[in-house]
Amino acid sequence: MLNPRASWRTLALRIFLLSLAAHFASVAFAQAPHHAHHDHDDHAMQMDANGMVMNSNTENLPQDCASVSDDVSIDVQVGREFARTGLTYGFSAHVWRVPPCARLRVTLRNLDEVRHQWMVHGLPKYLYPQGMFHLEANGRREVTGTFIVPSDDGTYLVHCDVSHHMEQGLKAQLLVGRGAGDLPSIPGVSAQRRPDSYE
Amino acid sequence: MTKRRVYLLALIVLVGPLFYTLPISKLPVSVQQHYYNVFGERAYREPPAGISNVVAPLSIDEICSPELAAWRAAHDIEGVQITAVADCMPDNPWDIAVAVKGANNVSPATLMKSLYALDTVEKSDDRDGDGDPDLIRIRLEVMELNGKSPDVPGPVPRFEIAPGITPGLWVFAPKSRGMTTANFETADANRLIRLPAPVIRVEQGDEVEITLENSHYLPHTIHFHGVDHPFTTPQGAGNDGVPTFSEHPTMPGKAHTYWLRPRHAGTSFYHCHVQPHSHILMGLQGMFVVEENRPGNWLQTFNVGAGRVRAASVAVREDYQREYDLHYLELDADLNNRIQDFTDPRLISRSIHRDYDIVERRPEYYVLNGRSFPYTLRESLIVSGAGENNLLRVLNGGNESLALHFHGHKPILTHRDGVELGAEFSEQRDVFSIASAQRIDLNLSTVNDGRDAYGAGAWLLHDHREQAVTSNGIGPGGGVSLVVYEDYLDEHGLPQTVGGLQSLAAFFSPDYYAGKLPVFAGMGPHHFTDVAQATWLQRHRSVLFGLCLLIWMLLLRAFLRSRRV
Ligand SMILES: [Cu+2]
Ligand SMILES: [Cu+2]
Repeated sequence: MLNPRASWRTLALRIFLLSLAAHFASVAFAQAPHHAHHDHDDHAMQMDANGMVMNSNTENLPQDCASVSDDVSIDVQVGREFARTGLTYGFSAHVWRVPPCARLRVTLRNLDEVRHQWMVHGLPKYLYPQGMFHLEANGRREVTGTFIVPSDDGTYLVHCDVSHHMEQGLKAQLLVGRGAGDLPSIPGVSAQRRPDSYE
Repeated sequence: MTKRRVYLLALIVLVGPLFYTLPISKLPVSVQQHYYNVFGERAYREPPAGISNVVAPLSIDEICSPELAAWRAAHDIEGVQITAVADCMPDNPWDIAVAVKGANNVSPATLMKSLYALDTVEKSDDRDGDGDPDLIRIRLEVMELNGKSPDVPGPVPRFEIAPGITPGLWVFAPKSRGMTTANFETADANRLIRLPAPVIRVEQGDEVEITLENSHYLPHTIHFHGVDHPFTTPQGAGNDGVPTFSEHPTMPGKAHTYWLRPRHAGTSFYHCHVQPHSHILMGLQGMFVVEENRPGNWLQTFNVGAGRVRAASVAVREDYQREYDLHYLELDADLNNRIQDFTDPRLISRSIHRDYDIVERRPEYYVLNGRSFPYTLRESLIVSGAGENNLLRVLNGGNESLALHFHGHKPILTHRDGVELGAEFSEQRDVFSIASAQRIDLNLSTVNDGRDAYGAGAWLLHDHREQAVTSNGIGPGGGVSLVVYEDYLDEHGLPQTVGGLQSLAAFFSPDYYAGKLPVFAGMGPHHFTDVAQATWLQRHRSVLFGLCLLIWMLLLRAFLRSRRV
C-alpha cells in the first residue's frame, strides 16, 4: 500500500506545468487542470529531494539576442556563515555580472539545514512565467539550473523568498551588461532605505 | 478729537462681539444668574449636524473569495475522503489529502496542488499490519508574519487577524515550497503560513519524528506539552525542548529532530520553550492531538488554521458527527509589534527579551484560530445539524484564563488536559474556565432537550471576559464565533443576520476597528452617527472672547490716554 520512501526520493520528479501563470496569479490554481508530462517544455518545474528548479531555459533566445553571447557558470553558496554583521543569512556573493544574452548556469549550494532559494525577478515574461527564474535547495543539498539573460543592460533582483530571509541578508543583484544601478539594501553594496536606529 | 471719536466708536462697536462670544456657562453661577436676569435667555443655537457615515454594503466577493467556493464540496482525492463544509474560506482539499496520505504517497499532481514540500509529511511502515502507517515524519519551519522590511513600509509578509489589524507574529508552519506570499502581486502570506501553528494529529503508538527546521533569525525549540515523550531521543539528543536542561536551542539555519511514541490519546499542546515569556506569546504554539489507535486510521497530520477537521479519525467518527479544533490566544501589541521596529536580530532580541516587561502585559487582541471577529466567521464557525454530537477540542494558548461561554447550549466536558474524566466527573456547563496552556474536550450536543441545546439558531460562542470580545477595545471583535445550525447559514457559509449582509459590512471595514465608524451606524437616519465637526466659531468662542476683551481694554486705555493729552 505504501511506496517505499527511498524509491520516491531517487525518482526525480519532473513536473512541467503548462500554465504557471495560472499557478501563481490565483489562489484557485489548485482547481485548474494541470498537465504533468515529461517533455522539454521551457516553462518548467523540476522537483526532487534536492529541491526545485523553475523556468529553466537553455534554448529560447530573448528578443534582440541573435545568439547566446557567452556561457557563464556561477557557483553560489548560501548559509549562515556568509551573513554580514546584523544579518542572519548570506550568499557567497551578492553581485554577479554577465554579458547581455549570456546563458547563465547557476549552482546553488546550501550549507544550512533549512531550505534557501536563488530567485531572479523581472525577466521577460514571454520567456519566463511571472518574469522569474527560481532555484530552491533543501538543507545541505545543491541544485543547478540554467537560463538566458536579456539583451539590454539591467539590474535584476535575486533573493530568497522564505519569510524574512531577504530581510536577513539573502538579497543580491544580477547585473546584465553595464547594469542599471544598484538595488537598495544589497549586503556590502547599498544601504537600507529604512535602516535600524542604533542610538 | 477725530482720534478720540474713532476710539469711542470702536469701543462701542466691540461690545457686540464681546457679548456674542461671552462664555457664560464658564462664569460663576451667581454671575450667570445676574446675566440672565438682566439680558434674558440667549437665542437657540443648533448643535453640529450628524454625518451619515453608513458603510456601503460589501459585495460577497470581497468577503468570501469566489475562487475558494469549489473547495467546500466533498472530495475524494486518491482515496482520501474529505467531508463537505459550508465555510466561506474552506481548507484546501489537496493540502488535506497530502496531510492524510503523506507527501511520499500521493501523485505528483496532487502534491503540486498543495503547497507542501516533498518531505513535509512522510508516512510509512505499517508495523502492526492494521492498514495504516506507523512511522510518521514531519517537518516544521519557523516563519515570521508582519515583520519589518528594511526597504518598504508596511508589515511583511502580511497576515491580518482582523480587518486592518496586523500584529507581528512568529509561527511554526508546515514546511512549504516556493514563495512565502500567496502570489507575486500581493504581500499576503500563502495559506500555509499563518497563525496559529498547524494542529498536528498522530495516532496512539505511532513512531513520530518531528524535525524543526529553524528558518528564523533567533534560536527556537519545540516542547511537547502533555504529549508522552522521552527526555532524550533514541539517539541521545535532547527531546524536551527546554534550553539549558534538555538541549541546546536550534540555532538559525539549523535543524533538530524530536522523537515521540505517545502511549495515550488526548488533546495536547506544543510550543517553543526558548524565552517562553515572549516566544510562546509571539505565536510559536499549536495543538497536538493524539488519536486512539484503530485499524485503517489515516489521520489528517496537519489541520492548517485549526477549525473543522475534514478527515476525522476512525475513533472520532465512531462517536461524533463533526470535530473542531479551537485554539484561543491573546496578543499584546506592545510585545508583538516590536519586530516591526528593527531588522537587526540583536536589536530585536534585546527589545523582545529584555525591554518587554511581561508584568505590564495588556493584551489588545484576542484570537480564535488566529483570527478575530469578523474573520472568525469565515473559517471558525461551529456548524452543526440538529440532534448531533460535535467534538470540540479547545486549547487556551494565552497567558490568561478564559471563560468560554456558549449561547443556547450546555456542552459536556469529557476530557481535561487529554485525560478522560469519566461519567462521574464530567461536567455540563455553559461557561468553562480554561487555564493558561490547558486543553478541554467538549461534547457539544445539539439535541433540543432544553439543557443540551435550546433548538436551532445562530448562537454566539465567546470568551465571557468582556475585553475578549473586543479588538483594541472595539466590539464586536476578539475571538467571537458562533454555533450555527446549517439552516441559519447563507449560501456563502456566513451566518444569517437580521439586517442582511449590510450589517456585516461595517465589521469588514478596517475603519471600524480603527475607531472611525460609529457602532450604531446604519440603524437610523442620523441618530448615533458621528457628529459633524463644530464650526470654527463654535470651537474658538472662548479664545475670541479673550481676544475681543484684550482689544477692547487696549482701546479703552488708548481712549483714556488721548483724553489727558
Ligand atoms: Cu532562505
Ligand atoms: Cu522560540
